[in-house]
Amino acid sequence: MVKLLASKMHPSTWWVFAISLAVVAGTATNIVQTTSIAASSVLLILLFRENAPWARSLKFYLLLALAVVVIRVLFRIVFSFSKPTDDILMNLPSFELNFGLGAIGLLGDVSAAALNGALLDGSRLAAIILAIAVANTLANPRKLLKSAPGALYEIATSVSVAINLAPQLIESFARVKRARGLRGKGAKTSTLNGLLIPVLEDTLDRSLLLAASMDARGFGRKSTQSKGELLFARLLGLQALLAITVGVFTLLSGFSPAAALVLLLVGLVTSLISVRITSRRNTRTSISRTARTWVDFAVLASCAAGLALNFSTAVSLF
Amino acid sequence: MISLKNFTFSYKNGDEPKLNRVNINVNAGQFVLVCGATGGGKSTLLKALVGLVPHFTGGTASGIRLVDGIDFSRAMPHDSAHLIGFVNQQPEGAFVADTVLEELAFALEQLAITRDEMIRRVDMALAATGLSELRDRKLTELSGGQQQRVAIAAALSAGQKILILDEPTSALDPAAATELLEFIFNLCRTQSITAIIAEHRIERLIGLVDSVIVVNSDGTVSQGTPATQLANFKFVPPLIEMAHLMKWPEVLLSIDQAAERFALSKPATPKRIAHLPLGEQVVLAENVCVDYGSIRAVDRVSLSTKRGEIIAITGENGSGKTSLLWALQGSGIRTEGSISIAGQDPAKLSPTARLAVVTMVPQQAADLLFLPSLGEELTESDQVADAQTSSTSRIFEQFSGRVDPAIHPRDLSSGQQLSLVLAMQLAKDASVVLLDEPTRGLDYATKRQVAQVLRDLAAKGKCVIFASHDVEFIAQSADRVTQLEAGRIIADQPVEQALEYRGDNALASQVAQITKLPGVIALQQLVADD
Repeated sequence: MVKLLASKMHPSTWWVFAISLAVVAGTATNIVQTTSIAASSVLLILLFRENAPWARSLKFYLLLALAVVVIRVLFRIVFSFSKPTDDILMNLPSFELNFGLGAIGLLGDVSAAALNGALLDGSRLAAIILAIAVANTLANPRKLLKSAPGALYEIATSVSVAINLAPQLIESFARVKRARGLRGKGAKTSTLNGLLIPVLEDTLDRSLLLAASMDARGFGRKSTQSKGELLFARLLGLQALLAITVGVFTLLSGFSPAAALVLLLVGLVTSLISVRITSRRNTRTSISRTARTWVDFAVLASCAAGLALNFSTAVSLF
Repeated sequence: MISLKNFTFSYKNGDEPKLNRVNINVNAGQFVLVCGATGGGKSTLLKALVGLVPHFTGGTASGIRLVDGIDFSRAMPHDSAHLIGFVNQQPEGAFVADTVLEELAFALEQLAITRDEMIRRVDMALAATGLSELRDRKLTELSGGQQQRVAIAAALSAGQKILILDEPTSALDPAAATELLEFIFNLCRTQSITAIIAEHRIERLIGLVDSVIVVNSDGTVSQGTPATQLANFKFVPPLIEMAHLMKWPEVLLSIDQAAERFALSKPATPKRIAHLPLGEQVVLAENVCVDYGSIRAVDRVSLSTKRGEIIAITGENGSGKTSLLWALQGSGIRTEGSISIAGQDPAKLSPTARLAVVTMVPQQAADLLFLPSLGEELTESDQVADAQTSSTSRIFEQFSGRVDPAIHPRDLSSGQQLSLVLAMQLAKDASVVLLDEPTRGLDYATKRQVAQVLRDLAAKGKCVIFASHDVEFIAQSADRVTQLEAGRIIADQPVEQALEYRGDNALASQVAQITKLPGVIALQQLVADD
């Protein structure tokens, strides 16, 4: 029942949800928070994933997340950041590299505080990766593409073709690896070339084939729209971008939260108007209507509530 | 309806043109066959008609492309998308949507048809192609033949009057292929669609088409009636070859005509197919099963073959041919059963040790190629195989003739790539050679060479096992035919029995259908001894 509801959910809702989760993970302050976000992301994927090509990449997201944590911790150990005042966990032989630009200390003492910090940083990134994995594995990219506004149609298409590439790559890798066994080892048979070249070639071929087929079926047709209107829409878009950039900057610098909010809102509204105008240029219709239901609105509302709560606690901490 | 005038195309300035001053004109409602040698520019010609050349291939083109009286010479393919429907060689790679319904609607969405009208037209296209009951199915769940039909329906859903198809049957089994071609033929006749179709296995089409376009290797193109075009064409099916052989005054374009004619002639007594004396047993497979999760692809298959024997495995798409070959090779999944090749279980050997016992040419042969030039691939192959210098290139030249060794393997045609991989694998001199669909996309001349090489291998005491849909190729090469259905062996017969004429035999070769003589399946049986 819950699975059915989840499968009917609008793909953009999954993305809003995943991005909210990633934002919360990014502002998390302890490992309990980050691990619980990571764990719930994995749980969600396991519960709701369907048997579709894009749903099979969980393993790779998990490996990526693990690699990020490990690399982060290793870096902290190698480039000793521990202060002599901290409680020291490990005492490794230390090296000093000097290239005439000041010395870099390697290895040496490793403190619990430094390790903790590295683990938190790493797990934060890992949680963000897994949060995005939720959207990537549960949201049907093709449905998402169909619900994108007309102005973003071309971009949305390239993005979802790119997302589709990951599972295709995995499939090609498996096939090429098997084929390589048939060839036998020679002097020039480097692993990298033997795998990468056929896989890349395969991917390029497929992408070109898809692009050609889409164009031959009318993809990319445009209606004529007056140049003035287009210019106006572009200027609006530029203005929206500026407003959002300055808004984010003011928000992060903590200069004036109120001004930041106003700037962000102005940016959002003008960008919507700009998209609206350029959408008229695109003369496409759609056969499927992926409507949002009460489930979507419930999820969106809880995302908003969660984010608001998260920011209010973050602000109160300052 | 659609024409090219003085159309020239080359990939690089100064290169030999791939298409050289092409003048063709196809009238409304015509059914046209495009044929030519492997890698000879058939696909390029079709892409030029669609407008994909040069926009999606690179290179420079000059000349005029007219569609329905409008000049589209400089236009992008999407500008003529409402007039032309194009179906690729691999429809599964060109699908944009998830379900049949959405795939059919894609072109309509691009043309901004209203939603109600869209649904009406999609339903019409589905009804016309007999796909109505598949409307809401996922594209990945469909069989190869069904996918091809969906691709055709999607290409015609916006009311396009021209249908251009690039080798639509190359991945289909004989029954599905015949069905698909008849389906296209009926579309032409009932909906007055103009269809242009590139096809290697000409025999399936010569009886149906109105005109034939031949693409020559120098890039020139000629157009004419089937009889005149095919009388001079080098790469002809057994049906046409038969007319030459029996010294009939004209070329007959249908099996039925040829069968009537043959019944009147007084041929010499047909010879038996010459089989080589067989050696000791080399492959013994017992109760082999291959499971993918809960799906059983190969079901208790037992097979025993001897040195000097050539075995063809046939069966519909998805009947387990490829899975069986990979299990025999040793690196594929084998859930149950035992396999012994020259006394060893290939699954237990290291990849290198395995190559000395069994080699394989997979379906996507190009996966094996990654060195920057043909020359390097050839010399490296000699090293790997521990063979004499240039032994690989000697085998390669047997198929493809001399090719510039500096060329990048990716720039070879798919037929030449297959020849290269075949040569690399044969140079390894293993006891057993496995091939998965070795004739996909090859012209008759190259196929004949492949068949000759397989027979040479058998004469040297090797055992060859190949999976194929290609009845005429099987008739030329195999000793024995093993038929698979849903993972099980349903028949294992000598080739003369498997392909001979019987009322209900879908595998009967052309020669069998023409002569209607028991045990007569290939032309060489009718050649009188000198």
